[in-house]
Amino acid sequence: MKQKPITFSDTLSDFKRQTLRVMRLTLCLLLIASMHVYANGYSQKNISINVQNKSLKQVLQEIEKSSTYRFLYNQGVLKNVDKVTLQVEKVTITEALDRLFAGTDISYRELSNDLVVLNTIGSELPVDITIKGKITNPNGQPVPAASILVKGTSIGVAAEANGTYSINAPDDGILVVSAVGFATQEVSINGRATINVALAMADLSMDEVVVIGFGTQRKRDLTGSITSIKGEDLQRMPNTNPITSLQGKVAGLTVSPSGRAGSAPVVRIRGINSTNSASPVYVVDGVLHDNIEFLNPADIESIDILRDPSSIAIYGLRGANGVIAVTTKKAERGKTRINFQSTVGIQTVQDKISVVDANGFKQLYDAQLANLNAAPFDYTNYNANTNWQDLVLRNAIINTNNLSISNNTDKATTLLNIGYTYQDGVLRNDNHQRFLVRLNEEIRIHKNFKVGGEINGTFIKDNPPAVGITNALWAAPIVPVQEDATTYYSMPSFQRAQVGNPISSLNRNDRTSINEDYRLIGTLFAEWKLLNDFTLRSTIYGDFRFSNNRGYNPLPFTVINLGEGAAPTERFLDPQARTSVSQSSAESRRFQQDHTLTYNKNLGDGHNLTGLLGFTSIYGRSSSLNGSRRDTSLNIPNDPNFWYLGVANQNNPIFNGGGGSESSIVGTFGRVSYSYKGKYLVNATIRRDGSSKFAPENRYGTFGSVGLGWVASDEDFFDNIKSINFLKFRGAYGTTGNANGFSDFLWRPGLSNASSAVFGDNIYTAVQALYIPDSTLQWETVSGLDIGFDLKMLDNRLSVGATYYNRTTKGILTSVVIPNETRRFFTNLGEISNKGVEITLGWDDRIGRDFSYNVSANFSYNENQVQSIGNNLDFQILGNGGANRTITGFDIGHFFGFRQTGVYQTTAEIARNPAFSTSFPGDIAYQDFDGNGVLTQADRQYLGTPFPPYNFGVSIGMQYKNFDVNIEGQGMAGYKIYTERRTSNFATLNYESNRLNAWTTPGSTNIEPILDNTRGNNFLFSSHYLEPGDFFRIRTIQLGYSFSAEQLRAIGVKSARVFVSGQNVFTFSKVTGYSPEPQIGSILGGGADNGSYPVPSIYTFGVNLTF
Amino acid sequence: MKMNLKAKTGTKLLLPLVALGIILSMGLSSCKKLLDTNPQGAYDESTFPFPGGSGPFDEYLFGAYRDLRLFDVHVWGYLHAVSIRSDDADKGSTPADGGANSLQMDNFPVLSNNGLVNALWTGHFGLINKCNNAIFQVGNNTGIISTPEQKIGALAEARFLRGYAYFNMVRFFGNVPLFDRLFEDPAAQNNIPQSTPAELYALIESDLNFAAANLPLAWDNRFIGRVTRGAALGILAKAYLYQGKWAQAQSAASTVMNSGVYNLNTPYAQIFGESGENKSESVFEVQATASAAITTANGVQYANVQAVRGNGIWNFGWGFNTPSVLLANAYETGDPRRARTILFTSTATTPGVTINGETTPLGLPNERYNHKVHPATSFVNQYNTRGAWWMNVRILRYADVVLMYAEATNEIGGDANIGLARNAVNSVRARARGGNNAILPDITTAAQADMRNAIRQERRVELGMEHERFFDIVRWDIANDAFQIAGKPNFSQSRDKWLPIPQAQIDLTRGVLKQNPGY
Repeated sequence: MKQKPITFSDTLSDFKRQTLRVMRLTLCLLLIASMHVYANGYSQKNISINVQNKSLKQVLQEIEKSSTYRFLYNQGVLKNVDKVTLQVEKVTITEALDRLFAGTDISYRELSNDLVVLNTIGSELPVDITIKGKITNPNGQPVPAASILVKGTSIGVAAEANGTYSINAPDDGILVVSAVGFATQEVSINGRATINVALAMADLSMDEVVVIGFGTQRKRDLTGSITSIKGEDLQRMPNTNPITSLQGKVAGLTVSPSGRAGSAPVVRIRGINSTNSASPVYVVDGVLHDNIEFLNPADIESIDILRDPSSIAIYGLRGANGVIAVTTKKAERGKTRINFQSTVGIQTVQDKISVVDANGFKQLYDAQLANLNAAPFDYTNYNANTNWQDLVLRNAIINTNNLSISNNTDKATTLLNIGYTYQDGVLRNDNHQRFLVRLNEEIRIHKNFKVGGEINGTFIKDNPPAVGITNALWAAPIVPVQEDATTYYSMPSFQRAQVGNPISSLNRNDRTSINEDYRLIGTLFAEWKLLNDFTLRSTIYGDFRFSNNRGYNPLPFTVINLGEGAAPTERFLDPQARTSVSQSSAESRRFQQDHTLTYNKNLGDGHNLTGLLGFTSIYGRSSSLNGSRRDTSLNIPNDPNFWYLGVANQNNPIFNGGGGSESSIVGTFGRVSYSYKGKYLVNATIRRDGSSKFAPENRYGTFGSVGLGWVASDEDFFDNIKSINFLKFRGAYGTTGNANGFSDFLWRPGLSNASSAVFGDNIYTAVQALYIPDSTLQWETVSGLDIGFDLKMLDNRLSVGATYYNRTTKGILTSVVIPNETRRFFTNLGEISNKGVEITLGWDDRIGRDFSYNVSANFSYNENQVQSIGNNLDFQILGNGGANRTITGFDIGHFFGFRQTGVYQTTAEIARNPAFSTSFPGDIAYQDFDGNGVLTQADRQYLGTPFPPYNFGVSIGMQYKNFDVNIEGQGMAGYKIYTERRTSNFATLNYESNRLNAWTTPGSTNIEPILDNTRGNNFLFSSHYLEPGDFFRIRTIQLGYSFSAEQLRAIGVKSARVFVSGQNVFTFSKVTGYSPEPQIGSILGGGADNGSYPVPSIYTFGVNLTF
Repeated sequence: MKMNLKAKTGTKLLLPLVALGIILSMGLSSCKKLLDTNPQGAYDESTFPFPGGSGPFDEYLFGAYRDLRLFDVHVWGYLHAVSIRSDDADKGSTPADGGANSLQMDNFPVLSNNGLVNALWTGHFGLINKCNNAIFQVGNNTGIISTPEQKIGALAEARFLRGYAYFNMVRFFGNVPLFDRLFEDPAAQNNIPQSTPAELYALIESDLNFAAANLPLAWDNRFIGRVTRGAALGILAKAYLYQGKWAQAQSAASTVMNSGVYNLNTPYAQIFGESGENKSESVFEVQATASAAITTANGVQYANVQAVRGNGIWNFGWGFNTPSVLLANAYETGDPRRARTILFTSTATTPGVTINGETTPLGLPNERYNHKVHPATSFVNQYNTRGAWWMNVRILRYADVVLMYAEATNEIGGDANIGLARNAVNSVRARARGGNNAILPDITTAAQADMRNAIRQERRVELGMEHERFFDIVRWDIANDAFQIAGKPNFSQSRDKWLPIPQAQIDLTRGVLKQNPGY
């Protein structure tokens, strides 16, 4: 059968068209802006004059009288000319003057402001004039001590306290006005005697430094794609995990949060690179981590997101999915500061899943039983109407506090930070607490030698809830909750074995597991500046984790089994249930060392060179131990003080286990950054990596990158384009190795001896291969191109950036399901590409003195394609029971199934239309994709992607006097969510409201199939279970008030700000689950919503005080 | 002066060079050492301390034995395929329980996306691959010191288990790919098309014949239930029977009967449950056990998924695979096997009593349960759980061999043979009678066709709820009629004699595997 062209390509090209449209728009915007520049230079005025035999001086005065032109000349210029005659009608000044001076030795120059300078030909010396004026800031207030310099000379003055100045300068000269904190401005004199200059606030963004791995670089010198987010922008949002706050702020970054207390979001940078792990690596002040939950958001100075292979090449093998580099706060120079921040908020689930109530349930279950020809259910004793969802969810508190004290003297810098976070989950009993301390110290022993270090301590305590939300969605609403605190109703017989009473489970296991996680991260560095240009820096890091969990299995509650039919209502308290306790602990150590030698020299004549050479290694070990004991004679009390293994006598059943791991990576690297006059930029990196994950002969890989940049706005020919302040073109190409998330030692034939053979009652250890080993396992290689431009214009008010990237992963490390086989096969397989564009726009301006605002928006589009997979295996990778498919020529893990066209209404309709041999009225009708007249498995087709190709974010900030308002919105589009929670049919579960519209009789519906779970055709994976995920969410609305210095002086406070904030306040989406956030955690089987933990709305009040 | 300058330049270069040297030497020296890590707390083939013990290849064989207990081999899909599909059993549990997967197995047709079908497929191929791995180790692993006898013995066990697994597969699916060796290249394994039933039976016969020739008659007490010559011959007899190879079937069965290892001395009521395990009736049983500490890990969920689904102390299991009313009516009046096979639950008028003497509560979801898997009270108390994961699965018992002998012999025909068949059937009936001469009179017919019906009837009641019925009615070609009687008109022998090839596997192979006819 021939595969028809896929309809999704149409959709895709739609996407492309839209993308192009946006790009075109950006281009137009640029053109309009630059044309505006030229229009200013072409003002046209006509002159009419009629003079006969007048002196030249008189003629010039006539022109001055009848027009706006003014002439500037030395008397001597005119001395060689006698009387002249000039008769012109509506000509340009040029024409008039050309005629007037024809045959004389006078030349002229037209300046702006209708000023014309006359000179004797051959002696066109500029005329020195005296210029006076005032220098002000954007609010019109004087800028004292601004420096006014004649360009190209050493002539200069400083402005007075009231902002005025006076300087002698050539009439055609250029004044360079500069002041600290303001953008340097160049003004052409053009003969003017009065020049007032309003200085714009300096745009320092291009001079900001960003983290580039083992060093920093000025933003303007970058050649790759790195976005820097300031800590203060993150702290505005009361998320306990700072990464969640990055949502919508960075083009190309997809963040899918989890609403669960304290848990980390799923993060993807520029699509999915690998079938294995697509999570970026986190680098906190140089240390590589898998997460940053140990960081206090208030303690973050900035986060840099490195997205392209050239930028991440220096990080080597851990960075291939992108790098999120976090710089923590250091003490500010020369100040002692105490800062206190606190927020308190309430989290609430806004959009609950619509499930039927008791009446709806009875109606639907009756219908289902009727369709199954089964006897009706006896509801006599089931007359409750319980909303289980409401009972397990709650409004939950979130409270964050942070106190930091910093001190900075000549010799030392100290920062001490203490944080405490308390978060209840919106699911009852879910609780997360976190204590953080951080001490950062830097000692300058000598001007060329400093040492320093940091200690970061974290304590996290979790009380996970005992039930999942799905439990509450499944439980039948006809069941009452409880009789008293220890007597609960069980579910009806049709779901008794599969679904427990959610409240009973919640209450029985309330705080019966105590999870404590301790972590200590220490850093020690020494930095030696030698011979002016060299810096030698050595850093060692240690990351020590210890977790200590305890649990208790309490006695069950009394259960009431309500009578059904002949079965009477009865109470049951399981006499065989016993209490048990468990303890587990795990420890891990990770050591990292970095040694770098940096050479930084201004070679003169505009040549600037930075070279870096370094070595790094990471070594990690871990071990774990767990055990439990069940007491067969005494009941262990429900009191955490008893929950230790020793409380149960050792003759009771005992279980224990333990394990460990060891892995390491090493890398040597070098980087050269060269710039010429700050205009021509070259960055090149090479890195050789080794990983213990691979066989000794395959361990090493060499990767590298090169980036080129051109700051066009620094070229001379740009001097005339006044409205463009900065323009840089950049391009970079790089490769990097990846083995992220891939288990150790898969090249060795691993064995499991966990299982056993049994003969009689004798038990023997059995050995089984864990997987099919591939001894040739190698790095997967990510390589990519990144080109783009950065633009600032209209007095730095408008900023535009656009990037195109094309990235390919070759030899992807994949766990393959082999047909007819239970062992997995881990191998290098195939090639995946991600192409896309990222556009950012920013506008920053003020209106009047008191109102300033900024708007920024970003948009990104990513197109994922599997270029090849399994070419040597000739099969495909299926995920989530076949709902997702990964195959050459399509995007990774796309949905693959039948497309619903309707519901068969009658047997006649089935006979007329393509159908399965097993189709009945009330079944879903699917599209006959191959057009052969019957439905077969060949009619499955591409149904969309679970991964959002479109990401966009917009943020508006406003400041009026002491008030500030911040609104942020974020959205994603172009993906599907699989409502897998609706497909569970292992028992009779509560129905979602959509089933109220199930097919009953011909004509009743064309969407929802009949209530009959024998009809397997309706459970085939199809578009029926997909919904568009597109959404736009108002992530943040915040109103803040900053007290003025005068108000605070009396109470000894330097600055104070209070705010109220709402998060996830409005959502525009058609998704039926708790939240529209895409389910992107699984790569090969993504997109399934099984009642995922709701991402709540949060309303917060906060205060920020500095002493 | 010049010298001085030179010296200064030298110093100037020296420092960074020294620094560079330090960095590089640290890098190079530590690189190799740092990357030499080892798996922690885990074995691989080169580090596993294979013990001596009974046989040098036991660890690999034990891996295959372990798979016999898997949910995907002898539990969930298995019970659906061999029993719930038959006219003797219903799905059980509550009406919609088990969902489309289970309901399709009861009512037909089974769709190719049915999860039970895929689980059966992968479960059995997992077992087959482990057998092939053991065979590979025998042939290729020079690191294991062994005698030729030990090698042949290990091969015999591996080939028995492979032959048995393929016998299940050919009965489930008809056409499946044939893997007679370990594929080291997954790509090659992937692209093997299906073999025909005839080709598969050739492998099964060859495997089981090899096993029969080389397995011991019995094992010592350390290895109760390990596969034997009798097991190999018994399964072989059944494989012959399914192909209508009557003479070979008769020969294999009679070899078992003459081996002196097995007899019909165990009273029918004591064959099942815990106490009947590994008695002289037992030819091939999947071994399972438990302890108060470890209740499931060394067991099999076979009994648990069928056991009574009640509340409280009556919550023994899931209550699937319940005996049908047709099976209840199939017994002759007074046949004590009926009550041992079917647990009738209490009604308002008649109490239902278990083998342990417990009276079942009113209002259980099903009127009948499989009595053969009801756990003994003593074991429930001993292990402090009602899950019954400890109960062995009876794959082949001696009465089955005797009835196979009877069937094969009767089909060969001739008065003498029919007489031998009659004697065999009557020996089974005599045991069932339990000394009560008022019931189950001897079969007296001398007509082949009557004898055939008597044998079929005897198989049905003797082996009720024991995995035979569906395959029997299909091979006897009486399934269409049987399902008409059972009120399951969707059944069509031409399609439903085999399960569909799992769509997931067809997808994984990108169409190398072909769907069975009719699906």
